[in-house]
Amino acid sequence: MKKRTMETSLAGHSPRLIRSVERRLFLRQGLSLGALAMLSGCNLTDDESVQKVLTRMSRWNDRAQGWLFSQSKLAPEFPETAITKPFPFNAFYSEDEVTIVDGKSYRLELSGLIRDKKPWTLPELYALPQTSQITRHICVEGWSAIGKWSGVRFSDFLARIGADTTAKYIGFECADDYSTSIDMATALHPQTLLTFRFADEILPPKYGFPMKLRIPTKLGFKNPKHIMTMDVTNEYPGGYWEDQGYNWFSGS
Amino acid sequence: MRSLGAVAVAAMLGTSFAFADDATPPKPMKMDEPMHGEMKKETMKKGDVKKAAEKKKRERKPSTEKEAAGAAKK
Repeated sequence: MKKRTMETSLAGHSPRLIRSVERRLFLRQGLSLGALAMLSGCNLTDDESVQKVLTRMSRWNDRAQGWLFSQSKLAPEFPETAITKPFPFNAFYSEDEVTIVDGKSYRLELSGLIRDKKPWTLPELYALPQTSQITRHICVEGWSAIGKWSGVRFSDFLARIGADTTAKYIGFECADDYSTSIDMATALHPQTLLTFRFADEILPPKYGFPMKLRIPTKLGFKNPKHIMTMDVTNEYPGGYWEDQGYNWFSGS
Repeated sequence: MRSLGAVAVAAMLGTSFAFADDATPPKPMKMDEPMHGEMKKETMKKGDVKKAAEKKKRERKPSTEKEAAGAAKK
C-alpha cells in the first residue's frame, strides 16, 4: 500500500484547506515542543538561550491568540445578583499602600499615533457617553470575581481622539509605575471599556481611581488601573509582567 | 426644616461631583519589601516596578520619538 504523505493526502484539495491543515500541524508541533521544554525541568529554563526560545514561543503564542481573537465573540455578562462581595483587592503592594491620584489635577496624557493629543481632565472624561457591564475578572493567579464597571467604550474614545486604529499596540503607564499594553483588535472590542466607576460609585483608589481599562476578554493583569498615559504605537511596548515572561496577549 | 433639606440636597450634589478622596492617607510604598501577590518571583521587590518603568521609558524614548516625528510628517 502506498504510504500516505501530507502531499498525497491533500492532493486535489483547495490551497485554503492545505494552508489550514499545515497550520494545524504547525500548532501541534509547536505544542509538543512547548510540552517538551516544560518537562525538561526548572533549571533548564534559567539558561539564557532557553529563555530566548521560550520568549519566541510565547510571541508565537501571542500571534496565534491574535488570529483566533474575534471582536464579535463576547465575554459572558452576569446579573447584579452574581456580583462578588467583597470584590478582591490585588496588586504587587498592600491595600494600605494604594496610590492616591489627585482627581482635581489629573490629566490623561496621550501620545503616539493619535491626531488630537490634548490631555483629558476627569470632568471631560465623565461627560462622555457611559455604559456598564457585569463581567468576570479572571486572575492569572487562579481566582476570579464578578464585578460591575462603568465607563466609555474604548473604541468610541479612540475614535474621538483620532487614534490610528491600524496601529498594532496601545501602551499604558500607571500612577503606581505599573505598565502594560494591548493589541488594537482587543482595544476595539465592544466590551473593552475605559472605566470610571465600580459598583455604580466613582472608582475607589483600591480598584484603580481615576480610571481602569476593563477588558473582560483578557486576564486581570492586562486590565491597568490608575492609568496616567496612553500611547498608540507600532513599536512593541511590552509591560511589567510581560517583560518578566508572562504571555503578552493573555486573552481569548 | 426647609434649610435642612437644602443642606441635604447640596451635600448629595457635592458628593456626586466630588472625586474619590480617601480619608486616610496612604502609607508610602516600602520599595525594598518583597512584592505582594502570586505573580512574583521570590527575589522581586516592590521597588523593582518603579526601576523597570524608568528603564523602559529611557529605552523606548528614541523609538517613540522617531515614530511620533514620522506621524507628524504625514
